[in-house]
Amino acid sequence: MTQQTRRAFLRAAVIGGGAAVGVTSGPWVLRARAQGGPVKIGLVLPYSGVYAELGNSITQAMELVFARENWTVAGRKIEIIKEDDEMAVPTGVRKTEKLIDSDKVDILTGPVHSGILMAMRDKVHNSKTILIVSNAGADAISRTRCSKWIFRTSFSNWQPCQPMGGWVAKNLTKEVFQIAPNYQAGKDDMEAFRETFHPAGGKVLGEEYPKLGETDYAPYLTKIKQSGAKAVFAFFSGTDAVNFVKQYDDFGLKASIKLTAPGFLTEPDVLPAQGKTALGIITGHFYTPQLDNPVNQRFVKEFVEKYKGKMPDGFACQGYDTAEVIVRALKAVNGNTQDKDKLVAAIAATEFDSPRGRFRFDPKTQNVIQPFIYIREVRELPGIGLTNVPIDKVADVRDPGTGCTLPA
Amino acid sequence: MLGVAVLLLALLAFPLAFGRYPVRLLQEILIWGIYAMSLDLLMGYAGMVSFGHSAFFGVGGYVAALALTSPAGVIGGPVGALLLPVSAAALAALVIGFFSTRVRGVYFIMLTLAFSQMLFAYAFQASWLGAEDGINGVPRPALLGAPLGDGYGFHVYVVAVVAAAALFLGRVVRSPFGHVLVGIHENEARMEAVGYPVRRYKLLAFVLGGTVAGLAGSLYAQLSGSITPDALFWKTSGEGLLMVILGGTGTLGGAVLGAAAFILLQSLVSTYTDRWMLILGGIFVLFVLLAPGGIVGALRGRLGLRA
Amino acid sequence: MSFLPDLLGQALNGLAYGALLFLLSVGLTLIFGMLDIVNLAHGSFYMLGAYAGLATLAVTGNFWLAALAAPIAVGLIGALVERGLLRPLYRRSPLDQVLLTFGLIYLFEDLIKWGWGGRIRSISPPPVFSGRVQLGGLTFPTYRLFVIGFGLLVALLLWLLIERTRLGAVIRAGVYDAEMTEALGIDVGRVFTLVFGFGAALGGLSGVIAGPIQSAYPSMGVSVLIPALVVVVVGGLGSLKGSLVGSLIIGQAETFGKAWLPGVSMLIIYAVMAIVVLARPQGLFGRPLR
Repeated sequence: MTQQTRRAFLRAAVIGGGAAVGVTSGPWVLRARAQGGPVKIGLVLPYSGVYAELGNSITQAMELVFARENWTVAGRKIEIIKEDDEMAVPTGVRKTEKLIDSDKVDILTGPVHSGILMAMRDKVHNSKTILIVSNAGADAISRTRCSKWIFRTSFSNWQPCQPMGGWVAKNLTKEVFQIAPNYQAGKDDMEAFRETFHPAGGKVLGEEYPKLGETDYAPYLTKIKQSGAKAVFAFFSGTDAVNFVKQYDDFGLKASIKLTAPGFLTEPDVLPAQGKTALGIITGHFYTPQLDNPVNQRFVKEFVEKYKGKMPDGFACQGYDTAEVIVRALKAVNGNTQDKDKLVAAIAATEFDSPRGRFRFDPKTQNVIQPFIYIREVRELPGIGLTNVPIDKVADVRDPGTGCTLPA
Repeated sequence: MLGVAVLLLALLAFPLAFGRYPVRLLQEILIWGIYAMSLDLLMGYAGMVSFGHSAFFGVGGYVAALALTSPAGVIGGPVGALLLPVSAAALAALVIGFFSTRVRGVYFIMLTLAFSQMLFAYAFQASWLGAEDGINGVPRPALLGAPLGDGYGFHVYVVAVVAAAALFLGRVVRSPFGHVLVGIHENEARMEAVGYPVRRYKLLAFVLGGTVAGLAGSLYAQLSGSITPDALFWKTSGEGLLMVILGGTGTLGGAVLGAAAFILLQSLVSTYTDRWMLILGGIFVLFVLLAPGGIVGALRGRLGLRA
Repeated sequence: MSFLPDLLGQALNGLAYGALLFLLSVGLTLIFGMLDIVNLAHGSFYMLGAYAGLATLAVTGNFWLAALAAPIAVGLIGALVERGLLRPLYRRSPLDQVLLTFGLIYLFEDLIKWGWGGRIRSISPPPVFSGRVQLGGLTFPTYRLFVIGFGLLVALLLWLLIERTRLGAVIRAGVYDAEMTEALGIDVGRVFTLVFGFGAALGGLSGVIAGPIQSAYPSMGVSVLIPALVVVVVGGLGSLKGSLVGSLIIGQAETFGKAWLPGVSMLIIYAVMAIVVLARPQGLFGRPLR
C-alpha cells in the first residue's frame, strides 16, 4: 500500500472501529445489574422464517403466564429479552453468548432448533447458566449430554415416537413403512418407534430417508404403494410436513394406507396449509387444545382471548409450562437468583397441573415426564375447523436417559 | 509500520475496556475478516470469483474440531489446532483448484459451488462428522503446556494468528507473484502470450486463499466450540462474497471492514428489527451499483485520496 | 411381474419433475443466452410468481387467472430490475452483474416475508385437475399430467416464438451482434429489457405452476436455484433445446436416484454438474466456449 492509502485505511479502521465499539457496547454498557433488580429471562427463538410460528407460540404463552402474575415474582419484576436465532447455528450461538455474557440473564430458555441446542450446551454448562429447553427435542440432551443446569419442559424426540409403535401394532396394522428426512433425528425417531413396534409383532416393510427440504416425494410415494404396507409411520415438520401430506393425498395413498406420525406432522403451524388432505392422520403428541381437563380449558380460553382468536398448540403449551416452572421455582426461593444451586433444586422439584396433565421433571434426566402421549386423529369439528382430536392415550412416558449421569 | 503497531495494540487492549460479548464479537470479526481477505486474494487480485470458498473454511473447522476432540487430546496443541487444519485445507484447495482452474468465469463459479455443496452434502449425512449437528464440545487448545481457556490468553492467540495471516496475505499481494496475478486479472491472454504459466499461478493463488480460509475455519471452531455443516453451505461462500464487496474488492484490508459491517448488521440489526435481510440485501445492491470500491473506496473518495 | 409398472410409475414421476425443471430453467437459460447474465435471482422470480399466484387466488379463487397474473407481474418486476439495476452495470465486469443478482436474493426473500409472513402457504390446483387417474395398477394425480402437457406446450410455443417470428429474429440478432442491430435502427436496449422481463416471467410462471405440488414459502427460491443451474449447465447455457433435454435427463436421474440409490441422491446432482462443467462446459447443446 502507498503511504496515502495506508493512512486512509488506518483512518477508516479507527473511524469504523470506533463506531463499531460505540454501537456494540452502547446498549450493553447501559444495562445495570443489581440484585433486587428485575429477574432476567432470555429467549433464544426463531422470530423470522418458516419456524417463526413456533417461536411466537412459545413466547405468547410465556407472556400469558407472566401477565397473569403481573410481571412480578417474589417482589421482583420479570424482564424477558428476546433474541432471534434465525434457525441458524452460528447466530444461535452468538445470541446465546450475548444473553449470557452481556445481558447476564438469570434463566435462559429456548431454542427451537436442536442443532443450536447442541452447540450452546457447553457454553451453558460451563458458565453455570440455567437453561430451560422450551422446544428442541434432541435426545442427547437427556442422555449423554445432560447437565445439572439444563431442564427441558418440551419433549425429547423419543417421547412421542416410542409409544406409537405398540399402539399402531395393536390398533391399526402390523405392517408398516417408515419414512423420515435423512438426518440423525429422523433416523432416531424411526428407531424409537421400532422399540415397541417389534415386540408387539410388527414388521417394517421398508424404510426411506428423503433429503431434508425435499419438494418432490413422488418416487418415495410410489415405493410405499409398492411395498404393500398397510400404514406409514412418518416424521416430517415444517415445509416438508406440508408437501409430504399433500402429495400423499395426490397419489391416492391417503385413502388406502393409514398415515401415522409424531404430532409435528399436523400441528397448527402446518395444518392450515395441508387443509383437508390431513384428515384422518393419526399422530402422537403430549398435547392438543381439545384436551378436556380444567387447566387446559382455562388456558385455551385465556389464550384465545388474549391473542384474538388464535388457538394454542403444543408449542404454546411448552411455553406455558416453561413460564410456570420459572414462576413457581422463583417463588420457592423467594426471588433469590444468586444461589444457583438452590434455584436448580427448586426447579427440579416443581410440580403442578399443566394443560397437558400433571407436570413434573424426571430427576434422572431433568426432562419432562409426559403425563400422557395422546393418540390424536385429524378431524374437522364444527365451529373449530381442522384440529387434532384425542382418541386414545399412553400414560407416563419417560425418556430412558441412557448415558445420563446427574449431577454432571 | 507504526499504524500497524497501533492497530495491534488497540486490538490487544480491547478486552481491558470491554466485556465478554463485545470481545467475542471482535474475535468473530477478525476471524471472518481473514476468511474474507483470503477470498479477496482470489476475487480482487486474481479475478477469480469463487462460490465455493466455504469448502476450505469448513475443512479447516472440521479437521480442527476432530483433532481437538480426539481421545485424550492426542492431537492437541498447535498441531491439532493449526497445523493439521491448515494442511487439510491446502490439500482440499489443491484438489478442487486443480479442476476448477481449468474453467473460467461463470463455469468457475458453478464448479466451485458444486464442489463445496458436495462436501456439505457429505458432512450433513456422515455420522463420524456428527451429521447434521456437527461436532460440539470442541475445547480450546493448549499452547506451551497451558490450556488457553476463556480469558485473555485466547484473545492474544486469536489476534496473533489473525495478524500473522493478514500480514502473510499482504506480503503475497505485494510480491512479484501478486503483481502477476493482477496482470492475469487484467488480461489473461496477454500474460499467456508473454509466457507466464497462467494456470499454475491461478492454482497457487487458489491454494493460498483456501489455506488461509482453512485457518479461519479452525479458529472459528475453537472460538465457538463447535462446527456444523452450515460452515460448508453455499450461503457461507455467499457471505464471504458480500463481505469482500462491502469492504472493497481488491483492497485486502477492506475485507475486514466488510466482515465487521456484515456481522454487526446481522447481530445488531436483528436485535431491533426482523428486517435485517432486507437491509443487508439492499445495502449490498447499493454497494454493487454505486460504490464498487466498497467501504474503503467510499472512504478514500471522501478523504479526497485516489488509489 | 410388478417391475414394469413400477418402472413406468417412476418414469412418469421423472417426466413430471422434468417438466417442472424445464419451466423453471428455461427462463434462466434464455436470459443467459440472450444477455450473457447468470441471473442468480432467478429462484426469486420463481418465488415471486408463486406468491403473485397466491395473491390472485385469494382475490379471485381462480387458478387460471393466477397462472396468467403471475408471469405478468413477475415479468414487470424483471423488466424493472433490468432497466434500473442491471443496465448501469453493462459496462462493468459481468461478474458484477452476477453479484448484484445475488444481493437481490436476500432482498426479495425478505420482502415476501414482510408481506406474507414466513409460514408456508398452500396453492390449490384448479378443480378440473384435482383428481387422480388409474393407469394400470398405478394412481397418478391429474395435475402432474397437466404439468407434463403444459411443459411440452410451453416448449413448443417458445420454439415457435424464437425461431419463427420476427420478434424472435430481432432478439437473436441483438444477441449475436448488438452494434449492428442497433445500426439497423433497432433499440437494442429495449430488446434486452424485454428479454429479461420475459425470462423473469417464465420463472414466475414456473413458480405458480409448481405451487400445487411444492407449496409457497419465502425460501423456496433459494432451494430451486441449484437444480436450475444444474439443468442449464447440462443442457447448455442459452439453448432452449438444451434446457428441455437437460431437464428431462435430470428429472429422470433425480427420480431414479431417489428410488434406487437413496444414500447418494443428495450428491448426484452436484456430481453431475461438476462432471459436465469439466468434460463439456458448453453442455449438450450450448455454444462452444468463446
